[in-house]
Amino acid sequence: VALDFELTDEQRAVRDLAGRIAAEVLSEAARTAEQAKTVGHEIWRKIAQTGLAPAIPEQYGGGGLPDALASFLSFEAFAHGDAAMTSGIVWSANAAFLLAMCGTESQRSEHLPALAAKPECRAGIALYEGFGRAPSEYRTNIELQNDGRWRVIGRKVAVPYGRAATPLIVVGNDPGSGCLRAAILTPHDSGVVMEQNASLIGLAAAPTENLKLEVVLSAGRLLGGANGDPELLARAVAHVRLTTAFIALGCAQRAVEYASHYATERIAFGRPISQFQGTAFLMADAQVQINAARLESLEVASRLATAGVAKLERSVSMAVSYACAAATRATRDAVQVLGGHGFITDHPVERWYRAAAGLSTLDFDVTCSAFSPVL
Amino acid sequence: MMDFDLSPDLQRHQEAIRSWGREVAWPLARQADTEHHIPANALAVLDTCPVAIDRIDAGAKGLPTYPDGDLIRDIALWEAVTYGDAWLWESMSKGVGHLIVQKIGTPEQVERWYEPISRPGGGATGLGMSEPGTGSDTSGIATTAKRDGDNWVLNGAKMYCSRGAESEYIVVLASIDRAKRHAGIRAFVVEKNTPGLIITRPNESKLGLRCWVTTALSLENCVIPVGNQLGWTGKDDEDVAIKSLGRALSSFNYTRPLVALQACAFARAAFDYASELLQRERRNFAPHRWQKIEWELEHMDVAIERGRRFAYHAIWLDARGLPNRLEAAAAKAYGPPTAELIIRRCMQLLGPVGASEDHLLEKWYRDCKIFDIFEGTGQIMRRSISRILMGPAAAS
Repeated sequence: VALDFELTDEQRAVRDLAGRIAAEVLSEAARTAEQAKTVGHEIWRKIAQTGLAPAIPEQYGGGGLPDALASFLSFEAFAHGDAAMTSGIVWSANAAFLLAMCGTESQRSEHLPALAAKPECRAGIALYEGFGRAPSEYRTNIELQNDGRWRVIGRKVAVPYGRAATPLIVVGNDPGSGCLRAAILTPHDSGVVMEQNASLIGLAAAPTENLKLEVVLSAGRLLGGANGDPELLARAVAHVRLTTAFIALGCAQRAVEYASHYATERIAFGRPISQFQGTAFLMADAQVQINAARLESLEVASRLATAGVAKLERSVSMAVSYACAAATRATRDAVQVLGGHGFITDHPVERWYRAAAGLSTLDFDVTCSAFSPVL
Repeated sequence: MMDFDLSPDLQRHQEAIRSWGREVAWPLARQADTEHHIPANALAVLDTCPVAIDRIDAGAKGLPTYPDGDLIRDIALWEAVTYGDAWLWESMSKGVGHLIVQKIGTPEQVERWYEPISRPGGGATGLGMSEPGTGSDTSGIATTAKRDGDNWVLNGAKMYCSRGAESEYIVVLASIDRAKRHAGIRAFVVEKNTPGLIITRPNESKLGLRCWVTTALSLENCVIPVGNQLGWTGKDDEDVAIKSLGRALSSFNYTRPLVALQACAFARAAFDYASELLQRERRNFAPHRWQKIEWELEHMDVAIERGRRFAYHAIWLDARGLPNRLEAAAAKAYGPPTAELIIRRCMQLLGPVGASEDHLLEKWYRDCKIFDIFEGTGQIMRRSISRILMGPAAAS
């Protein structure tokens, strides 16, 4: 064991493959997907064929689970093409990931084959609650009733595909054990009420709903069963939350590259604006923050299996917060570099400005950063 | 004696406009954004304003007078209107083309092109300044004007021409000699429907401020009479025209701080909007987070006031006829990016709910981005300030 920043061959290959698809497919389709408010089946199929999202174990018809780092790097690379479509794809893949990691054998066989085979299948996780809550603070309860059945009660925001998610995995806390639990819902379950279905700024291609839940289920619908391992679930949830950091960073990196290139071509006062420090340093600062955030997120990713669960939860909050801060800043400054051109939709930077803002609210915790005016 | 308060009446009227804006303008703000236009009933809504702001465009006559003076009054009312959303001020705007005519036109030109617009119901005018290849650096204007007997022939492309597609005419800046850079630029009135004036995009598709109609257009061998060159007296006296145009374009010493003030008004709207929602959800926050939120709100509140104070100071200097170049640039360097941060933070404090289209915060976050760009970007402001500090030796 020694300090080592080397990626494995698999991680590099996966990252490069995702990068190619991002450039050839996602980037091109981004505007259309935003208008259609969905990721088309063809694109969904192309991504699924890579085996990266959703990643499904071989025995359920997928290509196997890549290691966590490879998976994050591929999401970052996809988001370099388009953050909103990547969000829609990754959010569904995250539900498959929870099933693969924490589900019982029968739960996996019930849901994973369809997610591997059918591009029209969209799964989702009812995870976030807003109010800065981390998973251990979620107020959604998954509790044992006197009749031996389990009651899921609570409110969730930004639920991918909302009531239509198949399946919909709800993450909450078990007041009996004080531990994290998750339950598997399908659109047939009653007691799921949609409270709001407006999409988040910049993420129209990844539709979400806010849900009010009051559902009663048999123990067989608890993810991993009534004796599921809460620590395993906590680690899997940390993994899921961390995907936001990588999506934000892919978006941020693209914005910096695009605006930097623009700056070398745009002439003002007799020279390319890249020659003005006021422009160049905006991008330099953005790149500094992106790199710092990427290393932080990679470290958290590398500790997902080993860090103490409480420490892990907090470090995910911090990493996501910082990556989103990097992304909102980088995309904002990219618009700034393009000036008036940045404010019109002929250039994609305005889309990234919006997407980064939407992502930044998902898992926002006010204790992870502080407001500070520009000067 | 120093006094940081507007006169009591003006303050009261500002407050009246703000509450009216919350009541009548916020509910229509989403629609204006979606439809990329001011609401059809905009003028009827303006008529319900508790202060006679709908007559701002007709000059000072219809407005109350305050000890603060006319400019501060106009600015203060404008600030209050902005709080009610961009569509309100867009409804009141007639564009800026006729103001250039008023500044540099001959008496005949003023009578022909300024007077009719300045009357109620007089229509709107555009200014064709920005081009696809030229923004901050106006010396790079590539639209050309070539003299052909008693006519000028214009060729080029313009973008961000406010109200262009709806204007009675557009004041087009074009170069009669590109080698002369700034000194070659003249202003020409191009009336609507002039052959060769081609509207390529009636309203550009924008990140925000979508109710603000900005037009992209091209001029293709567009022929206009020599008399349409502003300030032209029948003699090709270059110097007079150059100086007056330069003066006209730089004479609005209050537009930069005004833009800064508008950014602050958006931030204030977002702040009030978010504070109310947060307060309602207070019990959903853990106590340590609520404490942090209160701390943040306090700091945002103070930052907005810093931005306002900055802007009013710069405008007050201008109203007194005092130089304000540094103060105006500083106000604009501070307010807009700070407003962006505040609006974004307000959105984040509310979580995904705050970032949804069910609330106006995400719209204001899109809208406010332009304030650090138009009327000179934050980078141009810093450039001006360093030049004031260091002279030509300053970094560019």
